[in-house]
Amino acid sequence: MTEQAEIEAVVEAVLFAANEPIGEPRLLELFPDDDRKRVLAAVDAVLERYAERPNRGVMAERVAGGVRLATRPELAGWLRRFFDIRGRQRLSMAALETLAIVAYRQPVSGPEIQELRGVNSSAVLKTLLERRLIRIAGRKPVVGKPFLYATTREFLVQFGLSSLQDLPPLEEFEELAQPGSGRAVEEAAASSE
Amino acid sequence: MTAATETGSGLPAEWRVRLPVFEGPLDLLLHLVRVNEVEISDIPVTLICDQFHEYLGLMEELDLDVAAEYLYEAALLIQLKSRMLLPRRADGDEPEEDPRQELVERLLEYRRLKEASQSLAEIHGLRMGIWTREPDLPDADPDERLDLGEVSLYDLLKAFGQVIERYDREHPHALRLAVETWSVRKQFDRLLERLAPARPIDLLDDLRRRSSRGEAVAAFLAVLELLRLRLVRLHGTGAGELLLYRTDRAVSDEERESVPS
Repeated sequence: MTEQAEIEAVVEAVLFAANEPIGEPRLLELFPDDDRKRVLAAVDAVLERYAERPNRGVMAERVAGGVRLATRPELAGWLRRFFDIRGRQRLSMAALETLAIVAYRQPVSGPEIQELRGVNSSAVLKTLLERRLIRIAGRKPVVGKPFLYATTREFLVQFGLSSLQDLPPLEEFEELAQPGSGRAVEEAAASSE
Repeated sequence: MTAATETGSGLPAEWRVRLPVFEGPLDLLLHLVRVNEVEISDIPVTLICDQFHEYLGLMEELDLDVAAEYLYEAALLIQLKSRMLLPRRADGDEPEEDPRQELVERLLEYRRLKEASQSLAEIHGLRMGIWTREPDLPDADPDERLDLGEVSLYDLLKAFGQVIERYDREHPHALRLAVETWSVRKQFDRLLERLAPARPIDLLDDLRRRSSRGEAVAAFLAVLELLRLRLVRLHGTGAGELLLYRTDRAVSDEERESVPS
């Protein structure tokens, strides 16, 4: 059995030294089985210790099924100045639209993306592949066998999602649409007769 | 297209100076629905169709390339407009299907995705300000150090594309005297022979040294076969090399036979 305080210290040290999100299973491997509960509690304690606070420069966050330490987004301007780095390259609206389709409809083929966006998206898909936000996830067994695309772990990391379930449900975006729009169409049709 | 400018269907005046940029025809349609303050479910087809064409006319006047997708959508709108003018059959109990139904559904779907991508954009903007430690090289065994990242099928195909492109540049087409044929299995055997346990081959370098495009293609296919049979591993290095390592697996006769000769 290991002391809770010691486990917390170990977890903190691992997160500090690691350069990728570390999942609980990997931390559990470090300790004997009967420490399980204490390890999980220690992770929560470290998350709490590094919760976003105005007087903290570093935060702990859950992304891509793990926990990592990172700087707080509010400090971006200072860091950029210190390291003399200009803004990182943002994704274009076309890239974000395509990424949204892949994220919500995966695995999805190129022609399906084109159908949804109304424009050819192959150049944008290439950009997303190069930025490792999406990957080729096989081929669709239809005529022409188009590639299927899915999001990557890097996508989860860059968008701060623990898993794909964390994506806001698409239905939420429905609220702007009129309720019962289908019915309205029928009524419109009926009244025009 | 000329009809569009003649109709003068009342596009907001500021459009003539400030032409918004749209992500595609659906984006433009959504914009027209918004500025005209009409319901997506009850689109005044004639008005929207005319404004759509007027916008395309403006694009042409400004010498912007009107992409084929816009022209396709414009044609669909004209078809829809004509269908709306046709008298509808009033018989039967079934509710009449609105000719606009399909357009309505596409627009609603697109609007949902647009909302979703806008929220992704916000998240992206915020999270671009988050910094983490740069991955540094663990100073373990030198072989492991090279194993920096997974090599995806996309990386592999892209690398091969570069090889072929470079090959074509360095070897302009000359007189072809004979048709060469290259055997994938022969390349397979050759690569296996050359791959000593601890000595990787730089794949790109190897492919570049081939005497012809045909040979490079055969060798590349052989590498894919080797990967399929898990006889080799591929590792990417920071310098953009793709290193081919022999694994511990032995090759069986049956497996060798499965490689196209």
